[in-house]
Amino acid sequence: MFKHYNKKQLSIIFTSLLVGMLSTHSVSAEIAVIVNSANGSALDKNSIERIFMGKMKKFPNGQVALPMNAAKGMNSRDEFNKSVIGRSSSQVNAYWSKLVFTGKGSMPNELSSDAEIIATISSNQGAIGYIDSGSVTDAVKVIAKF
Amino acid sequence: MKNLNKSLLALLVSSVLISGYTAADVKISGFGSVVAGRTLDDVTLDNVGFDWSQSPSASNPPSVTREQILTADFYDVGQYSNDFSFKPETVFALQVVADMGDNLKVTGQLVAKGTDDFSPEFDWYYLTYQATDELTLMAGRRNIPMYYFSEFSEVGYAYPWMRPPSNLYWWQVTQFNGLHAMYDFSLGDYSNTISVFYGNEYSNDNKEMKYYDELYGGSAKSVNELWTDIMGFNWNLSGDFFDVRFVYFQNDRDRETIAQDGSIADFTPFSQAFLGFGGTLDLAMFTFLFDWNLVTYDDAHGTEFPTYLISAVYNLDEFHPFISYSKADHKREKRANTEDYEEHYMLSYGIRYDFHPSASFKIQYDKFVDEAVPESGWRYHGDSDTVTVGVDFIF
Repeated sequence: MFKHYNKKQLSIIFTSLLVGMLSTHSVSAEIAVIVNSANGSALDKNSIERIFMGKMKKFPNGQVALPMNAAKGMNSRDEFNKSVIGRSSSQVNAYWSKLVFTGKGSMPNELSSDAEIIATISSNQGAIGYIDSGSVTDAVKVIAKF
Repeated sequence: MKNLNKSLLALLVSSVLISGYTAADVKISGFGSVVAGRTLDDVTLDNVGFDWSQSPSASNPPSVTREQILTADFYDVGQYSNDFSFKPETVFALQVVADMGDNLKVTGQLVAKGTDDFSPEFDWYYLTYQATDELTLMAGRRNIPMYYFSEFSEVGYAYPWMRPPSNLYWWQVTQFNGLHAMYDFSLGDYSNTISVFYGNEYSNDNKEMKYYDELYGGSAKSVNELWTDIMGFNWNLSGDFFDVRFVYFQNDRDRETIAQDGSIADFTPFSQAFLGFGGTLDLAMFTFLFDWNLVTYDDAHGTEFPTYLISAVYNLDEFHPFISYSKADHKREKRANTEDYEEHYMLSYGIRYDFHPSASFKIQYDKFVDEAVPESGWRYHGDSDTVTVGVDFIF
């Protein structure tokens, strides 16, 4: 079959294949980081990362931070880890496994849907989580989008 | 590490209804590795056990040829030979953490290893008291925080390789009963934890020491390895792209080699000091891991063990090819011959593939090169080429 293609056509095919491979992960929904409506904290990306990695345990106002993860396998979790933590979900899990099994940290709780995350955050002053931007409601406050 | 606590919670809730006690929040999680491998060839060992004062004979052979052996786990004497085996490194562990309220938790880790025919043992059990937001106190049985990877050396999912390089993680004692105080603080964007610890380990019938006794022709009934007054500290510093750790500890060493008739061989106690600096760096697509350590004895020989590890991992989505080099040396600074003792390196490469959010597949090749000179009598490992494949998981 290849004899029907010339070199230029082949290189176009390869380039589009490559672009296709590289861009499979960039087809992503926007992630909204949400907190309780009464939480007045402003957090930059680094602080959000540190809260979800267990390195920052309180908001700037002194309130204890309760990070909430989306369940393993949810798209929002992979997107959040990639764009905010800068690692794959597996790498983040590996990071936590060394803390959990040496008693030096507890992985953030897991919730199984955006609705459950919103419900938990709207009823817990210190809770912080992330959901698909399209799921945001008035019950919570968005502090950042990625 | 999903909290598999629904059925337990149901049990606890029913017990609350009956007894009226406040239920402890119990979390169950775990980790494990199913690993199999083998060495690929034979090796000729010069003079292990050879008596240099006698001439070579059938009963005093200057060299023996046997299957290559890789000791993948020194503490448990988990060894690969030419027979493909799951036993040396396969492990399954269940962790139960009961939060009893008022900042007090109890943790137990039930571990089953192939080297022990999978008979489960509580390897870890300790209380954790969160005294303040910054200060955590722990009491009980834990791993000694020696090397950078020591405390989680059995959690295969936590690192890229099949195991932390076994030619450095070779100590006959890895755990102790003791007290830990950990203090967390921040310096700008950097997180710090300083831990101080104190404890003892009376390792009766030590598996690794019994193995050495037999290797060198002994017939001891058992060897008790005693590490006492273990005290020291760790300082952990981490930022956005790095995590480093400094360690110092010291302890007293003693040993009881018990003969079949019950008599105990003489042993001169000494003290050892352990110094180390290790960590990880995440730079763009690469992760670098390193550890440098120096163990010194205050014995008559001036024994020293300088060791180091360097490793690079390339992170390509879920694929993590890696290479590592680890070197161990043994010196006797107070002797005329300071250099010619145990010495070896391992060159390892392989790939970790995160095929599942909680499980990874690994394949690794290890080249172990025994650099001890034959006349030293320390060339007991022998060279080996080993292939291992496995799956590490957490839940």
